[in-house]
Amino acid sequence: MESCSSEGGTVVMSAVTKRFGSFAALKGIGLSVDRGEKIVICGPSGSGKSTLIRCINRIEKHDGGSIVVEGCLLDHRLTNIDKVRREVGMVFQSFNLFPHMTVLENCMLAPMLVRGLKAAEAEDVAISYLRRVRIADQAAKYPSQLSGGQQQRVAIARAMCMKPKIMLLDEPTSALDPEMVKEVLNTMIELAGDGMTMICVTHEMGFARQVADRVIFMDEGAIVEEGAPEQFFRQPKTQRARDFLSQVLH
Amino acid sequence: MTMDWLSGYGLQLIFGAVTMLSVALVALVVGTVLGISLGTAKIYGAKPLRYSAEAYTAVVRGVPDLIVIYLIYFGGTVALTKITGQYVDINGFAAGVAALAFIFAAYAGDIFRGAIGQVPRGQTEAAHALGLSPRAAFFRIILPQAWRLALPGFGNLAIILIKQTSLISVIGLEELLRASSVISGATRQPFLVYSVAAILYLIITSIVSWGFRNAGIRSNRGFA
Amino acid sequence: MLDFSIMADAFPNLLKGAGMTGRLSILILLLGMMLAVPLAYARNAQSIWLHGPASIYILVIRGIPSLLQVFIVYYGLGQFSFVRNSALWPIFRDPFWCVIIALGLNSAAYTAEIIAGALRQVPKGLVEAAQALGLSWFQTQRKVTIPLAVRAALPAYENEVILTIKATSLASTITLLDLTGAARLEVSNTFAPYEVFLTAGAIYFCITTSLSWLLRRFEVRLSAGHRNEERRVKEFQPVLPGIPDH
Repeated sequence: MESCSSEGGTVVMSAVTKRFGSFAALKGIGLSVDRGEKIVICGPSGSGKSTLIRCINRIEKHDGGSIVVEGCLLDHRLTNIDKVRREVGMVFQSFNLFPHMTVLENCMLAPMLVRGLKAAEAEDVAISYLRRVRIADQAAKYPSQLSGGQQQRVAIARAMCMKPKIMLLDEPTSALDPEMVKEVLNTMIELAGDGMTMICVTHEMGFARQVADRVIFMDEGAIVEEGAPEQFFRQPKTQRARDFLSQVLH
Repeated sequence: MTMDWLSGYGLQLIFGAVTMLSVALVALVVGTVLGISLGTAKIYGAKPLRYSAEAYTAVVRGVPDLIVIYLIYFGGTVALTKITGQYVDINGFAAGVAALAFIFAAYAGDIFRGAIGQVPRGQTEAAHALGLSPRAAFFRIILPQAWRLALPGFGNLAIILIKQTSLISVIGLEELLRASSVISGATRQPFLVYSVAAILYLIITSIVSWGFRNAGIRSNRGFA
Repeated sequence: MLDFSIMADAFPNLLKGAGMTGRLSILILLLGMMLAVPLAYARNAQSIWLHGPASIYILVIRGIPSLLQVFIVYYGLGQFSFVRNSALWPIFRDPFWCVIIALGLNSAAYTAEIIAGALRQVPKGLVEAAQALGLSWFQTQRKVTIPLAVRAALPAYENEVILTIKATSLASTITLLDLTGAARLEVSNTFAPYEVFLTAGAIYFCITTSLSWLLRRFEVRLSAGHRNEERRVKEFQPVLPGIPDH
């Protein structure tokens, strides 16, 4: 009776469309992501890349087509949304840490409320992930007392505490001061080394080269080009991708 | 004269002040719950619910508090008399609390709506992305942050509420103003008695306003 | 459920009461505004001898209920023989003037706070620019500060007008037959509180709602002629918009 099965890819999107009023943000997206695959999505602003990954955990509702995540079809059924969100972690451009909770409380909240962990267990999990992003010593502080880079590492730890199967990262470094980009990128690289399935919207082409299995280039709500990073960076097939790369890589 | 004040009248004023504070406190609690519901209905509610909430606020804003109080007190008496078949004098305390809570809720609703609207969207998104239910997201993430933003306006309302308790005197509840009227009738020194009452009001409203300012500072922990 | 014939019978008397409510409101707002302007300038003054008393006045008035203020003026002042023997006694004996004095003094404090806040929001640079052009203090006030402050104060003042109209219902507690007083009288004659108070409430609602609609239109028109100033006007935070202050 449940519409979740474990067949096929981790994320399968087909013919996904999304409109904001009269503006078509996504025009028939088809994308299949395998377990453990690292995908980097890039493209000019307004190309729909953020909208695309926000549809994967239903922060944004798609209008047409189908999205299957971990074998669960995403539709109006709330039970499926809950299931999907439990398996999918998300890191936002603006961190979105809860300002009224300490770093530790931020990390403990969802494991306790959603996974039903006891406080002590949740704290163990939280501390272990905070240690991995090297910020465990700041656990008692409030987010506003941390630098942007530290906040984003906490946000990554917070998402990891739910032990998700898939991580969505929505421009995780673009709100950061340049000197803090590196510490967050290093954390992301470590995450990738653990075999996590990652879908990351970013303009950090160095990160894409080093980590991505596949680079997806979007423009005007559609996937224009995709391929292995080496091939994409050396010989982009389309003029639009060439224009974009020349701007990003200077 | 001094003895009178120490024995009877002073005590009577203190009792009046205690009654006033009890009315205000109960109305504050009831009004806050109603106000949060109204504010939530205005943001998240379906159209009919939203419009009823807006209409409620518009009516309370457009009609004097005294009319609301009379309507509930006398109207309540008539309604209860009709239901029970015999004359029922409605409890002044209950009628006063109900009227003030209804009025408080109308204004508190808009303050909470504004505050909820000021919590960044990303907070809701992050809560949803972590798998929190809409309920948990509202009560654990949105409301605690909205509360901080609502606090100044809410404190303002609480002080207005304390002053509004004086209106309950018109339906005979012996709160501070009513007690003063009784005493000034007995002593024939209305100016003196009302001045003492004014000072008591001033002290109480000042303490409450100071309390809310402090609470505001404390609730700002974690916010740079 | 509701007896409409009672409502129809009560209506003419309630309308007469509404006339009294209107007269009271206008006189209270006039008195309040007359006192509020000097009070607001005093509140913003550098000298402690000016802003000290003004601040204390506003603080005290705002800290005690307006009904108590009405009682102090109407019942309290009569305690003193020098008041009773003075030429002003006909005024202090008359509930009509007592309400106007008490609520006028009250409205002055709230209005002064609104005006003082609006005056403080006028950017210093504009005043300096006017002075650099050689305008006198009065000219600067008239041509620069006041026009800008009026627009900043209007939303909050609209609120104050509505609250004042509602506050005139307190007049009914000292025997005046304003709209609320007339309604009480009708209720004691008919024992039909729902019909009468609902009708009275509806009349109040019509008055306050239409007035607030008119004032808002006036506000829009006032800023319509200053399109390029719109942005600046927006930066002027209206003083406590929509929050009741009494």
